[in-house]
Amino acid sequence: MSPRGRIVLMRAAQTGGVDCDDEWYDAMETCMQCRGCEAACPAGVPFGELISGTRSAMSAVRRAPVHLRVGLWALTQHRLLLFGSRILAVLQRLRVIPRVGFLPRRLPLVGSRLSYRADGDVILFTGCVMDVWQPEVHDACQYVIEVTGSTVARSGPTAGCCGALHEHAGLHGTARRLAKQVVQALKGNEPVLVDSAGCGAALKAYGDLLGTPEARTFSDRVRDVHEWLEERMESLPSLPDGDRPGVIVQDPCHLRHVQGAHMSLRKVLSQYVDVVELNDDGLCCGAGGSYSLLQPELATAARDRKVDLITKASGLSGAELVVSANPGCSMHLAAVGLDVLHPMQVLAEVLEAGIDPEGVRDGQ
Amino acid sequence: MVHKMPSGTDELIADLADAIGAGRVTAGGAAREIYGRDSSIIEGGHSGPVCFPESTRQIAECVRVAVAHGRDFVPRGAGTGLSGGAVPCNDPVVISTTRMNRILEVDVERRIAWVEPGVINLDLSRHLAGTGLHFAPDPSSQQACTIGGNLANNSGGPHCLAYGVTSEHVAAIEVVLSDASTVLLGAEVGDAVGYDLRGAFVGGEGTLGIAARIAVRLTPDPPVVRTLLLDFQSLVDAAETVTGIIAAGIVPAALEMMDRNTVEAVENFVEAGYPRDAEAVLIVELDGLEEGVTHEIKIVKRVGNENGVGTVRVAADDVERELIWKGRRNAFGAIAHIKPGYYLHDTVVPRTRLAEVVAKVNEAVERHDLIVANVFHAGDGNLHPLMAFDPREPGVMERVYAASEEIVRIAIEAGGVLSGEHGIGLEKRGFMPLLYSPDDLSAQRALRDAFDPVGHANPLKMFPTGSSCGDVMHLAEVPEGVWV
Repeated sequence: MSPRGRIVLMRAAQTGGVDCDDEWYDAMETCMQCRGCEAACPAGVPFGELISGTRSAMSAVRRAPVHLRVGLWALTQHRLLLFGSRILAVLQRLRVIPRVGFLPRRLPLVGSRLSYRADGDVILFTGCVMDVWQPEVHDACQYVIEVTGSTVARSGPTAGCCGALHEHAGLHGTARRLAKQVVQALKGNEPVLVDSAGCGAALKAYGDLLGTPEARTFSDRVRDVHEWLEERMESLPSLPDGDRPGVIVQDPCHLRHVQGAHMSLRKVLSQYVDVVELNDDGLCCGAGGSYSLLQPELATAARDRKVDLITKASGLSGAELVVSANPGCSMHLAAVGLDVLHPMQVLAEVLEAGIDPEGVRDGQ
Repeated sequence: MVHKMPSGTDELIADLADAIGAGRVTAGGAAREIYGRDSSIIEGGHSGPVCFPESTRQIAECVRVAVAHGRDFVPRGAGTGLSGGAVPCNDPVVISTTRMNRILEVDVERRIAWVEPGVINLDLSRHLAGTGLHFAPDPSSQQACTIGGNLANNSGGPHCLAYGVTSEHVAAIEVVLSDASTVLLGAEVGDAVGYDLRGAFVGGEGTLGIAARIAVRLTPDPPVVRTLLLDFQSLVDAAETVTGIIAAGIVPAALEMMDRNTVEAVENFVEAGYPRDAEAVLIVELDGLEEGVTHEIKIVKRVGNENGVGTVRVAADDVERELIWKGRRNAFGAIAHIKPGYYLHDTVVPRTRLAEVVAKVNEAVERHDLIVANVFHAGDGNLHPLMAFDPREPGVMERVYAASEEIVRIAIEAGGVLSGEHGIGLEKRGFMPLLYSPDDLSAQRALRDAFDPVGHANPLKMFPTGSSCGDVMHLAEVPEGVWV
């Protein structure tokens, strides 16, 4: 099914040219919402708006499946998420629960190992599940920001979840409520830096989502961490020439197609490593927010294609590291055994080894 | 209005499901809505059941069942066609090749690849990365269009100037005929003995049968590629430069022209640094050995200077080169920055008459109070005048249609032909008698009948008929309030 096909169906639904039956719903639900079509569209068709409005209207007629609703609700309950995750972490170590596809193979038992302040030059947006499942990514990100000489505050549980997955699933109302909560919690003028491409895209869209001057001002403060670093390259140390590891970059759709920040990532990384491209114009890996849970067959096919490309790129270049700047993508790829790091983890590693070759950084 | 399927359709669907599996047949309203059209502005097509076979045998089964039920069958690739070749008339069985997207075999030494028809054009060249080979035909829709569709339309693309259109790159084809039998046309090596039936099949728009497996010829990557962007203050100067370059003995890998309106629209999208104040820009791509390319760049610059070129920019790296091409490839879609709808023509005229024909075309379109933008494969005289319009404007389609007819007549009077690469389909079938005598047409019909004696293989395409299916004029009425 192509974006054009979906637009034809949306229009047919509007004019009454088609019945909105299971097949019609299926056509809309199988859209990954990767927004790759938008980046490719010379006519500038705002497909994201069209599908988002359609999904929102659909969710009013047909409720999302229970497991999805429960999961999305849990994202808004930070303490519960943390508590539940720790229990699962212990059970994983005791080997009493089987492996579940979307769960990291080894959930963390402890959170961030870095101390952070209530006020900083910048606010690092920590979100919901990433804060609980991938605290090491936020730590690496904070380390890199601090190397530039800036201090870091974290958004924390008060700001909580950005609502990207809720908007993605058509739960427009919840997404708006969460957006208001984030805007309210993060008042001030500091830049809000984001290390999750999906969250970053959502925060940048608050202006349109809420339509208020406050939300627009907030969205203007939001930067993907790579965009922010790109403007401060001179603050990052130059390291002596040594081995430059080859790093395969898997672009999250919301970094490349929605935020257009993928070139910033390359600019920052390529100062220290050799960037290896996948040559697929940023095709979706199949994670797609909750897509991998709801459309496992298509999500798996997309992942297989991505894994093939990664294997091929690795074979041609000799690179072994794979990075992706979105927790959904890295977890989706990790589920088939691929070790995927966040670009900030690689950067933190390289910087630390260069700055203090003898030391071992906390938390890594 | 939801279109009703003719009687007997339930039995047809059941038989198709029995033959190829229920998961490979769909007949819901949504599918019929989508598969009722292609990328042209032609509306009014009605699809019957849509099948997604996954093997040659399953294609043959679809054909067998369709014909047994007295239905036509229409093959379909990615639906990127621009002349209505895949638009279904009279509720036929639509056979979509999208699930047949495997690259079966790549023989680097013999430079041959066997592919299924649903392989996306660009996917093949990407798959070949590292082998030093690529698939040369590169239609602007190459990110989406399929090789089966390229074959059916004998598609071109910017690089077909030097490398030839699809037919040059197809060695052999496994074809399912309308009696559900399978034949192999052509040969992997050399030419098949006897008539060149492969050559007859390529460009057949599905009226002769369905390609189920294709052996394509692979082309070595050139050692050096340089892309030049030249701008001019007059279209005539740009056209003279095109003629001058070819007359100087150079056949560039690609030689493309865009006029001011196109550049304006494209630059809004790609920001490739196209000069917005130029009346025309030329993209000249040269490839080959370093010394040869350097020499040819000098000649192109000289010819440009003789014809009043403004600036000559040589792309510094692959990123810049890709940006220039991205602009050209997306030129049609970018026209939406001018008006929401467009109607594109595809005619070929002798290269030496380019400037004169474009001037006439522009005059004709503007006389009908429409905006015209020109993009063309200048090197081979292939014109793509686009008329930009807003379909919600009352009466606009009548003007578009009248201007279209004039465009075609102007091209033919200048010694040109109806189509360069987009095919005839439904769109231009009515114009065929302008180009061919009744004798020519009946000879072509005889060829068609030899391949498809029962007349069920994508009928109503290519030849003039009285049927009004898929009329371009259907779009004349757009319901109020519909976004376009």
